[in-house]
Amino acid sequence: MSRESRKARNAFYARPWTGPNRHYDILKEGAIALGVVTILVVALSALFSSPDDPALTFKGWAADAPDNFYSVMVSELAGTSGTATYGPPYNEGDGVSLGPLTLQKWGGVTHPVDSANDFVITPLSSQVEPNDVSAALKTWNAASADQQLKWAGDYDAAVQATADDNGDLHLDAVATGDYGPVPDLAKGALAMGTSGAYDNALTGQGQFFQTDQTKQLLLMGDGSYMDDRATELNLQGNTWGMMNEAGSWPGQQWLAFTSVWYQLPWFNAADDATGITRTLTDNADVIIAAILVLLLVTFTFTPFIPGLRDLPRWIPLHRLVWKDYYKKHGRQTS
Amino acid sequence: MELFAISLSDPASYWRPFGPDSWFFVSYPNLIMIVIMLVLFVLALVLPFPGGKDES
Repeated sequence: MSRESRKARNAFYARPWTGPNRHYDILKEGAIALGVVTILVVALSALFSSPDDPALTFKGWAADAPDNFYSVMVSELAGTSGTATYGPPYNEGDGVSLGPLTLQKWGGVTHPVDSANDFVITPLSSQVEPNDVSAALKTWNAASADQQLKWAGDYDAAVQATADDNGDLHLDAVATGDYGPVPDLAKGALAMGTSGAYDNALTGQGQFFQTDQTKQLLLMGDGSYMDDRATELNLQGNTWGMMNEAGSWPGQQWLAFTSVWYQLPWFNAADDATGITRTLTDNADVIIAAILVLLLVTFTFTPFIPGLRDLPRWIPLHRLVWKDYYKKHGRQTS
Repeated sequence: MELFAISLSDPASYWRPFGPDSWFFVSYPNLIMIVIMLVLFVLALVLPFPGGKDES
């Protein structure tokens, strides 16, 4: 664009307004809106209160489900927990994939989590422990990695073998064996959890100001405590959880478009299912994300897609919105 | 303030139009909000806009 034509264009846009003027007081409108919203917020808060569920804590978990807490600590040492076997970004593994595209693996291990050290050994080492736990820590630290894995793996298998038909563990029925320091370490972690010391030990790792709750969430997700609470509050993914709020409050209805896919039976296969439903369920997150991206692209290019772009002609809702215009001009478009 | 508050702490009930085993269900609080939004949308379509007619 030449200098002259740019000047002409700027002069065109700088012309004074010659159309009709209407008095408008934006401060008055803003003040009225602020007043109405303030009254509504105060009145509705007074009437309905707000969701104020206390945060879940490791102390609460250890008190409510000590056997589960204990067995999870064992599984963290053995490397069999959900976190330890999750794959990227926490540890090595394949993770979810979209057909041949191993997207999770491609992301790499960017937030490494060593479940045994991060969840058990480091918290136990952060405070003065009873003699048996201190001795167990020394034994564990002095052992080779293979020996550690053998002790913890054997004990983890023995603990899981006590599960009854309901999945409840019976720790008093664990078979005797050579489990090294693992039982004492799990016992020490449970004692920390029960006393409340575990909450501080895990949140206190790293920096002075702690805003990264990843490890706390991962560990709590390995047990049944948070899972049971989510089920109780209808917050599970397969019960429209992302749309729901704690209690009887309305939730996030705008997430229905995403949540609906998680309700379909194809993405909710039973634990013993095999075949295509197993694959779809195991990779549900990435497959559903791909479906949503595909739909988003489709909507974005609606004007170029025959059939889809003709919908307003078949369902003329816009004529209802601009009914005055169409009353005056009929069906003409210009 | 707590004297006035209505307790909404208990988990919501669900509307299950296709039976208890169907995958489709919606909580009543969400259903109420969706119905309110639809009613507002319809009202916005049919009610005359205050302040005069479209001048186009």
